[in-house]
Amino acid sequence: MSSRTQSRETVVGHVDELPPGTRKIVDVDGTSVGVFNVNGTLVAYRNRCPHERAPVCLGGVDGTTLVSAPGEHVWGRAGEILMCPWHGWEFDLLTGQCLTDRRRLHRYDVVVEDTEIRVLH
Amino acid sequence: MTEREPQSGADQAVTGVVDTDIHTRSRAERIVDFLPEAWRRRWLSGSRGAPLPGYWNPGGVVRSDAITADGEGLDFSPEGMAKEFLDAYGVDIAIVNHDGLSAALCPDPDYAAAMVSAFNDHHIADWLSADPRFRLSLVVSPMDPVRAAAEIHRLGDHPGVVQVLLPGGSILPYGHSFYHPIYEAAVAHDLPVATHPGTEGAGPTGQTSAAGYASRYLEWHTGLSNYVSAQLLSVVTEGVFQRFPTLRWVLLEGGVSWLPPLMWRFDKNWKALRRTTPWLDRPPSEIICERVRLSTQPLEEPPKLAHFRAMLEMFPAEEMLMFSSDFPHWDGDTPDFAGRAFAPAMRHRVMSETAREFYRLGPARG
Repeated sequence: MSSRTQSRETVVGHVDELPPGTRKIVDVDGTSVGVFNVNGTLVAYRNRCPHERAPVCLGGVDGTTLVSAPGEHVWGRAGEILMCPWHGWEFDLLTGQCLTDRRRLHRYDVVVEDTEIRVLH
Repeated sequence: MTEREPQSGADQAVTGVVDTDIHTRSRAERIVDFLPEAWRRRWLSGSRGAPLPGYWNPGGVVRSDAITADGEGLDFSPEGMAKEFLDAYGVDIAIVNHDGLSAALCPDPDYAAAMVSAFNDHHIADWLSADPRFRLSLVVSPMDPVRAAAEIHRLGDHPGVVQVLLPGGSILPYGHSFYHPIYEAAVAHDLPVATHPGTEGAGPTGQTSAAGYASRYLEWHTGLSNYVSAQLLSVVTEGVFQRFPTLRWVLLEGGVSWLPPLMWRFDKNWKALRRTTPWLDRPPSEIICERVRLSTQPLEEPPKLAHFRAMLEMFPAEEMLMFSSDFPHWDGDTPDFAGRAFAPAMRHRVMSETAREFYRLGPARG
């Protein structure tokens, strides 16, 4: 959750455009933002990796291997993990937190009003 | 190729960037055009070199966003690479280290030589001609140094060729006299010799370390700097730089931070063991600093940037390091990211000047 004061809203699309498992890259006041429908939850992140500034929101969305005992490989978190297209860093789409580094994606709050998706910024 | 965020003014301070390591992929049907008839059936059957023992990178080795508007990999396209990478990042000169490295380690030395010649010819024809900013490393096969020397004599005076490139993995460390024909030819054409990782554990190179085979890409890739240091120790210890007084050497894509402690250990042991290598008439670190250069990628990223910069004070980094991006591979460092990592006092040398001097590239354009 962003702690910044959020004073503006930008309409970025209609809910029908973004069924579960899809994403949309939008312009929010000059900033590229990725809006994702993660299994029914709408989230939005700045399209900029905190590592080397890659367009992270264009990366693949999938599950991943869960933390497990040595030798076990358990797949989970279907549709919740974004992999940066440059260096493969994995991010939790529900929180923006990188799975392997302290850094996280810059998150925007998203609201739906009258079937319009709005990003708060 | 995708958009990038605009950079701050400080990031744009680096101009005339020389990138000492970018990568291409070749279409199999184009390589055929440069292969002698006797080898074409083998190539077309899919026998094309020395594969790794099955290591897997879940994101792919090539960045998934490094594609042209038509969805083609940028590394297949000289025009795409020039527009989406050289133009986009203000790269003045980029050295192409092509995809013939695994072919170079084919166990059949005759076929290995034929394949690397085809890759070299393809890159001269299709890459060097496409944009004046490209330069080429001439890949040769270490499986037959006499054939490798012939390849250097065949193409070594091409104006776009700037060095001889050997795969990082080998059947015998590069200090051995077996390889002398390669070094003799390289110095005859005033070309440095470089090594580049990617083939360690491939084909006839054997286990990925003295401990055995790495299990996973993570283990294998993290350990690549061990091969770099192993080849460096061999070349220095065996007296290659004394036998070839004008030979210059480049360690590509090995990272940097392992170098200072290795030189400390090397010098300390030399003080006690010098009589076993009487040709080493001065501390090994002095020879390394004089004759060897390193490309920068993959930059180590300690939690504190100050620790990275402190490491660079432990050896003459501004004289020895040459920027490399490794574009478009997954572990690359973009020019703006690398530029920020180096303190302003050495930034221009690392990003441009050291490589210009070493490769005799001339001053930046404009």
